[in-house]
Amino acid sequence: MMEIFTGLLLPCFYAVMACVAFCLVLNHHGKLMVVSSLGGGVGWAACLLCAFTGSDIVQYFAGAVAVAAYAEVMARLMKAPATGFLVVGILPFVPGGGIYYTMEYCLSGDTELFLTTGIHTFGVAGAVAVGILLVSSITRLLREGRAPKNRHLGGEK
Amino acid sequence: MIDYDALLNTASTMGLRMLESGAEAYRVEDSLQRLCRAYGADSCEIFAIPSLLIVSLCDPEGHSHTRVRRLYRRGTNLWQVDQLNSLCRAVCQGTPPFPEVDGSLARLAEAKGYSPLLQLAGFAFVAAFFTLLFKGTAADALCSLVAGAVIFFAKYPMERHRANSFFVNGACSFLAALTAIAGVRLGVGQNLDKIIIGAFMGLVPGVAITNFMRDVLEGDLFAGITKLTESLLTATALALGAGIALSLLGGAA
Repeated sequence: MMEIFTGLLLPCFYAVMACVAFCLVLNHHGKLMVVSSLGGGVGWAACLLCAFTGSDIVQYFAGAVAVAAYAEVMARLMKAPATGFLVVGILPFVPGGGIYYTMEYCLSGDTELFLTTGIHTFGVAGAVAVGILLVSSITRLLREGRAPKNRHLGGEK
Repeated sequence: MIDYDALLNTASTMGLRMLESGAEAYRVEDSLQRLCRAYGADSCEIFAIPSLLIVSLCDPEGHSHTRVRRLYRRGTNLWQVDQLNSLCRAVCQGTPPFPEVDGSLARLAEAKGYSPLLQLAGFAFVAAFFTLLFKGTAADALCSLVAGAVIFFAKYPMERHRANSFFVNGACSFLAALTAIAGVRLGVGQNLDKIIIGAFMGLVPGVAITNFMRDVLEGDLFAGITKLTESLLTATALALGAGIALSLLGGAA
C-alpha cells in the first residue's frame, strides 16, 4: 500500500501541482486550469505504469498518448481548444533532464556520453511528438466528416 | 451586400490576436475560414504562420481584398486562445455587426492576466514540483523554488524591454544555475542536477514542441518548421546558459 502511495500517487500529485503552477505562467484560468492540470497526472500515471517495459522512450510515448487522449476527450466535453489541455499536460514529458545532462557531458568533454545522451533526448522528444500525432490523427479521422470541405486533409494541401 | 473591408479588418484582427496568444496555425486558418463564410464571403484564402497572417477575400465583381498582418511578438496565453475560440464560435452563429465584434475583441485584448505575484508563484512552484517529481529531496525543492523565482525576476523585466527570446532564455538559465550552485555550496541542496532541471522546466519549449506537431500534422509545414526551430533554439539557449554557469563555477564539486 505504501509502495503505491510513494511510487505512483505522490509523483502524480507532484505532476499535477507542477501543471497547476505552469497554468499560472500560461494564463490558464478556472475550471480549465484544474482539468488540464489533472491531465498531467493522468499522463504521468500512464508513464509510471509502463515502467515494466524498462525503456523510458516507451514510457514517455505512453504518457504522451494518455495526455493527448485525455486532452481530446476533455476538449469535446468542455468545448474548449484541445491545445490548452495538451500544452499543460505534456509539460512533464518535455525532456528538460535530457537537455541538462547532454550539456553536462558536453562540458566534461565526454564526447561519447554527450552524443548518446543527445540522441536519446531527441528520441524521447520524438516519442512524445509521435504520441501526440497518433492520437490527433485518430481523432481527426473520427471527425473528418464534419471538417470544412475546402480544407484538404493530408499532403495534397 | 457584405462590407468586405470591415469583414477583412475584423477577421484579420481576430486571427492576429489568436496567433499572438499562441494558437496553432491551422486553428487560426480554420476559424477565419468559418468566420468569413458565416458572413457570406465564399471565396476566401487564409495563410497563417507564426510571424505572418494573410487574409484575402474576393468579392462577386472579382475584386480582391487582401490584408497582411505581420506579427513581431508571440507568447502563450491559453485564456485568450479559449476566449477567442468561443468568441469566434458565437460570432459565426449570430453574425453580429462588425463594430460589436471589434468591441468584444478590444475588450479581450485589454483583459489582464494573472498578477505578477501569481506568475512569480507559478515559476517558483513549477521548479519546486518538478524537482520533487524527478526524485529530488525536499531541500532540493527549496533551492529550485528560489531558482524558479530568480527566473521570473530575470524574465519579467527583460520581456518588458523586448529582449530577444534566445537571450532571455539563456540569461534565465544562467541565473537559475547560479542560484542552484549557490544553494548547493551553502549546504541547502544536495543534487545540483535535480535542482537545475526543475528550474529548467518553467522555460522548456513544451508549447512549441506540442504545437509544432499539431501544425505538421495539419500540413502546415511552414508553421511547423518555425516552431521546431524555436524549440531547438530555446533548448540550446537553456543548455548554453546553464553550461556557462557550471563551467565558470565548476559545478558543486
